[in-house]
Amino acid sequence: MSSGIRVAALDDIPEGEGIAVDKAVTGTADNIALLRDTDGAVYALDDTCTHETASLAEGWVEDGFVECPLHSSKFCLKNGEVQGLPATRNACPHRVEVRDGEVYLFPGETP
Amino acid sequence: MTSTIEPQGAATPTPRGALRRPADLARNIDVSGLVDTASGLLDRVVFTDRELYRQELRRVFAPSWLFLAHTDQFRKSGDFFTTYMGEDPVIVTLDRERRIRAYLNSCRHRGARVCRADFGTTRNFTCTYHGWSYNLDGSLVSVPNKDGYPESFESGQWGLVEVPHVEIYRGLVFGTWNPDPVPLRESLGDMAWYMDAMLDHDEEGTVVVGGVHKWVLEGNWKLAAEQFATDWYHVNMSHASALMLLSPSGKKPKDEIVHRTGRQYAGENGHGAGFPVHPRNRFDAQTVHAWTNYDALRERLGDARVEGPLTNGHATVFPNFSYLPVNGSIRVWHPKGPDRMEVWAWTIVDKSMPEEVREAQRLYNLRTFGPSGIFEQDDGENWSEVQAVAHGFITNGVALNYQMGLGGEREDGRHPGTTSELYSDAAGRAFYGRWRELMNTPAWHEASEASKA
Repeated sequence: MSSGIRVAALDDIPEGEGIAVDKAVTGTADNIALLRDTDGAVYALDDTCTHETASLAEGWVEDGFVECPLHSSKFCLKNGEVQGLPATRNACPHRVEVRDGEVYLFPGETP
Repeated sequence: MTSTIEPQGAATPTPRGALRRPADLARNIDVSGLVDTASGLLDRVVFTDRELYRQELRRVFAPSWLFLAHTDQFRKSGDFFTTYMGEDPVIVTLDRERRIRAYLNSCRHRGARVCRADFGTTRNFTCTYHGWSYNLDGSLVSVPNKDGYPESFESGQWGLVEVPHVEIYRGLVFGTWNPDPVPLRESLGDMAWYMDAMLDHDEEGTVVVGGVHKWVLEGNWKLAAEQFATDWYHVNMSHASALMLLSPSGKKPKDEIVHRTGRQYAGENGHGAGFPVHPRNRFDAQTVHAWTNYDALRERLGDARVEGPLTNGHATVFPNFSYLPVNGSIRVWHPKGPDRMEVWAWTIVDKSMPEEVREAQRLYNLRTFGPSGIFEQDDGENWSEVQAVAHGFITNGVALNYQMGLGGEREDGRHPGTTSELYSDAAGRAFYGRWRELMNTPAWHEASEASKA
C-alpha cells in the first residue's frame, strides 16, 4: 500500500468542502473525510465528529480548519487537533498525496 | 406560475401527553359592531386593544396566506431566510430536492430559535441553547446526550413544526398554517391581474436587488396595510414636499399630475389596489423609463394595465403584504403588538433589466420609499401620529370615516372585479370587511381543540 489508494480526482472536491470515503474502501474503522482547504490543499481526517454522530465531510472547511456541521466543533486539518468545545477529543488524521490531479490516501499513516 | 407543495408536517405536532389548553385562554370577541362597511365607519379600538390583537394572530394571520420571501433568495440547497408569519418566527429554506419549505423557527426542546441569522446557507439548523440539530427536512438529527432520554423518546416525533402549505405566485413565496387552505391563486382572485402588471413584464420574471431593509414603526400594522390598499387621497397632502421636489420646475407638479383620475380595485378577500389612469403613464426613474418598451408591454399586458397599474399606484394583498410598482418596492408589515410594526422591504426588478437600469431603480426606490425615503418618511409619520393619540379614552371612542366613494363601487368593464374612483375608501371598506369576517370565524385550530375536548 506504499503508493496509497486512489480515492478521488482533485476536481471532485470543491475548495471549502469535503467528501467522505467509505470504510469499505479505506479498511479503517471509520469512513475518512477528504477535506479541501480554501487554499486548495487536501487533508484527511476520520469522518465522524468526536462529539456526536456527524460527518465532517459535510462540514465547513476554511483556513486550515474544518467545522462540524452540527455543533460547530472545530478541528485542525493538518493534525486533527480539536480547537474547542463541545468536542474534547482530537480527530484521527491520515496522510494524503495529490499526484497529477489524483488524490491518494494512506489510511492509518500519520501525515 | 403556481406550484403547490404537498403538506409535509402537521401544524400541531402529536406529542401532547396530558397537556390540554383550557379554552378560556383564548377569549373571542364579536367584532361585528366595530366595522360598519355599509356606512363607512370604523371603531378605533381595532388599532389599540390587546385582546383583539391576540385574536388577530389566531384568526386573521394563522389561517391566511402570508408573504414569506422571493424565490430569487433561494438559489442552492440550504439557502435560507428567516422571517415572521404574524409573530411566529419561521425559517424559509430550499431543501435537498430544491423545494422551498418553511418551518417554525423554535426548538422543540426549550423553544429558542434554531436559526439566529437573517439569511445564509446551511446544512443543519442547530439550536444554540442545548444543541438539538435539525436538517433541511426539519428532521431532528442530533440530540446531545441522547442516552439520557427514556426509551420512549422518538426523534421522529420532535422535528421542526412545518408550515403545511407553501405556494408561489410569480416569484412571490407565500405560506399558511391553515391545513386546508383555498389555493393561493384562488385566494388572490382578480388581484392577480393587478399583480401581474408588476410581476409579469416578460418571460423572465423578477429578481431581488440588494438585501431586505427592516425598520420599526410605532403604529398598528393595519394602518399601513389599509393605506396601501385604498389610499391615494393622502398623496397630494402628505407628500406635498416630495412632489414639489420631484417636479421639473422644482416648485410644484403640473396640474394634471395633481388632479389625476384613476381606479381603485376592492377585492372580496380584502385585497386592494389603486392607480392613476393615463395613456402616457410612465416609470418615474428616467433610466427605467427610457429602457421600458411600453409597446411590448401593451402587447403582453394590454392597454388597461399599461395605462393603469403598471406604474404609479399602490396595493395590498390581505392581510399584510403591500407593493408599489413604480419603484419595485415590496414589503410586509409585521405585527409587533397592537402599537408597533416592523416594515420589511425588498426591491425587485425585472430580471431582463441591464445592470445600469437595475441600479437606477434601486436608487430611485431607496430615495423615495427606502427607510429614509422622502415619501416613506411622510407615511410613517402619519401612522405613528394616528397611533400616538388613539389610546385616549374619549379619542378611542370617536369613530373614523371611511365614506369616500361610498356606493360608487361597480364593474367598469376595463379592470377586473369591483372598482371605484381612484380617490375612494372602497378598498379600505373591503379590507376591514374581510378582517371582520375572519375575526368572527373560528379557525381550524379552534375546531380541533373543540373536538378534542
